Amino acid sequence: MADADADAAAAAATIAGEPSSSSMLDSLGEDITRIVTPVSTCMLLVVVLVSLLSSSSSPSPFTVAGGGSAGAGAGDEITSALITAVTFVVAVTVATFLLVLLFYLRCTPCLRAYLGFSSLSVLLLLGGHVALLLLSRLRFPLDAVSFALLLPNAAAALALAALSPASVPIALHQAALVAIAVLTAFWFTLLPEWTTWALLVAMALYDLAAVLLPGGPLRVLLELAIERNEEIPALVYEARPVDPRHGQNWRLWRERQQPTAGGDFDSNSTVEVIGEVLGSNLGANSAGDLGISAFRSDEQVDDLSGDARNLRFGGTSMPNLSSDSVRAQVEVLQALPETRVSVAEMRVPLIQPQPDRTRVEEEDDDEDGIGLSSSGAIKLGLGDFIFYSVLVGRAAMYDYMTVYACYLAIIAGLGITLLLLAFYRKALPALPVSIALGVVFYVLTRTLLETFVMQCSTNLLMF
Amino acid sequence: MEARVAGVPGDEESGLLPRPSTAGRRQPTAAARRAHPPPPVWATVDGPLGLPLEEAEGHARRFFLWGFACLPFLWAINCCYFWPVLRSPSSSDAFSRIHPYVLRSAVGFTIFSVVLLTWATTFIIGGERLFGPGWNDLVMYNVADKLGISGFMG
Repeated sequence: MADADADAAAAAATIAGEPSSSSMLDSLGEDITRIVTPVSTCMLLVVVLVSLLSSSSSPSPFTVAGGGSAGAGAGDEITSALITAVTFVVAVTVATFLLVLLFYLRCTPCLRAYLGFSSLSVLLLLGGHVALLLLSRLRFPLDAVSFALLLPNAAAALALAALSPASVPIALHQAALVAIAVLTAFWFTLLPEWTTWALLVAMALYDLAAVLLPGGPLRVLLELAIERNEEIPALVYEARPVDPRHGQNWRLWRERQQPTAGGDFDSNSTVEVIGEVLGSNLGANSAGDLGISAFRSDEQVDDLSGDARNLRFGGTSMPNLSSDSVRAQVEVLQALPETRVSVAEMRVPLIQPQPDRTRVEEEDDDEDGIGLSSSGAIKLGLGDFIFYSVLVGRAAMYDYMTVYACYLAIIAGLGITLLLLAFYRKALPALPVSIALGVVFYVLTRTLLETFVMQCSTNLLMF
Repeated sequence: MEARVAGVPGDEESGLLPRPSTAGRRQPTAAARRAHPPPPVWATVDGPLGLPLEEAEGHARRFFLWGFACLPFLWAINCCYFWPVLRSPSSSDAFSRIHPYVLRSAVGFTIFSVVLLTWATTFIIGGERLFGPGWNDLVMYNVADKLGISGFMG
């Protein structure tokens, strides 16, 4: 289905008047593959983690707290779920506006520091917790000394890889982003069921509103970055470009003006944002919202030529639950009290593709969020990774049948969003279509397909 | 990126290529090599997407020094990132300043991993027979249970 979408997208691009898009057609399929693969890997890892760890006998503390406070009954659950979801969205909105404000005031060091802190906290605390759960479940006799030695080490190395993509191999940088997404998504699957679904739907709606409405925080942020010609530091997964320009340093655009090493360096090419991390810190009573939203804007970007515009845009940031009042409302969300981190993923909206990316002339289009960068690589915000994986992880808690259905739905949604990107050529949210399809497929599978398959199996018609 | 090596004999296209060709460079196309002036040498495993040569030395040194702060994985990253430097002969002039740092990083990481693996393997295989009752106090899942952190955090 990705190929069909790729062909359709390429055809759409041709219809839209791209000159000589044969070179783009050639690599469009591979571009899409390079973004579908990490999304699929993230989902697979979350499903594996959920399958391994979810059958633990101890009830999730969330259910205990939620049940205690909300009382028995599905109605109460739904009510508390809706309240939680709305609170979450409100907190995310506030956090995003805060980030916009910081970005507007050019407080990039504090944004970068926050970003580093939040990603390090996610890797250290969540990663440590997941590692401990795995060790306990698998009864692997690792000793405490090695564990204490390896965990901070790995967390520091992965955080560094996620934050400064220029210092590490691209593969490691992408792996670090996927790791952060997996850990955050696993953490979200620990919420009670109704809360998870309400949260997903609410975040999809928020994403839609924040990107497309004129007053939405993400759109404001994007426009701010466009007019300033700056990068928004955010956690954005960027696929490796299929066709790196000859002599052009794809990643270092953000940091310096590339000297004409190969002699044909195009100083006007768009800068790619590789690993922007958007992190918003959770308050002391981290109610367990993990959103990675950190901004890191590169000062050197301002030195680039005016044509080299770099739009990096983070999607919605996860809620920033810091206040006690919020905590009281969302008591179901028990946080990591010792951690002060909330990782807010930026769900980067899809960005229009750059049709003439193989040209020497630069593209003046702004690359916002997900989309095709000047070198044709597709960028996807980490928040999208996380919520896709949360959906699939929650589906995994029921049965593998729902996992397959939701996986296909999400990939189809991603393909449709890329198609829309090719048509509309502006920033698009990546969550709504996929989450809508995923939820619909989950409900249909659980109610209709399962009965059908069970009947077929018991009658030896199909296995 | 001026890495002209003056007076180096024996290059494959002596006089045309100022840099030794055995340095692991990643050229985008072979045609480009012929058509353009001497192509740049990439010190990193990412080729043209990685660091340019003049920054590589500072980067390698920083990672090497920071690895001593109990972060041996930085040494591993150093080795992986500058794999072409590691694989090139140590007499290659383009990488002459980077090579010592990467080599020492590799040595440091090897020592660290050998020590850690030896200790972990001894612990796992030896078990209680070797360590006595103290083994149970050192195993991570017991430590986690004792500290109460194997449930969800907090």
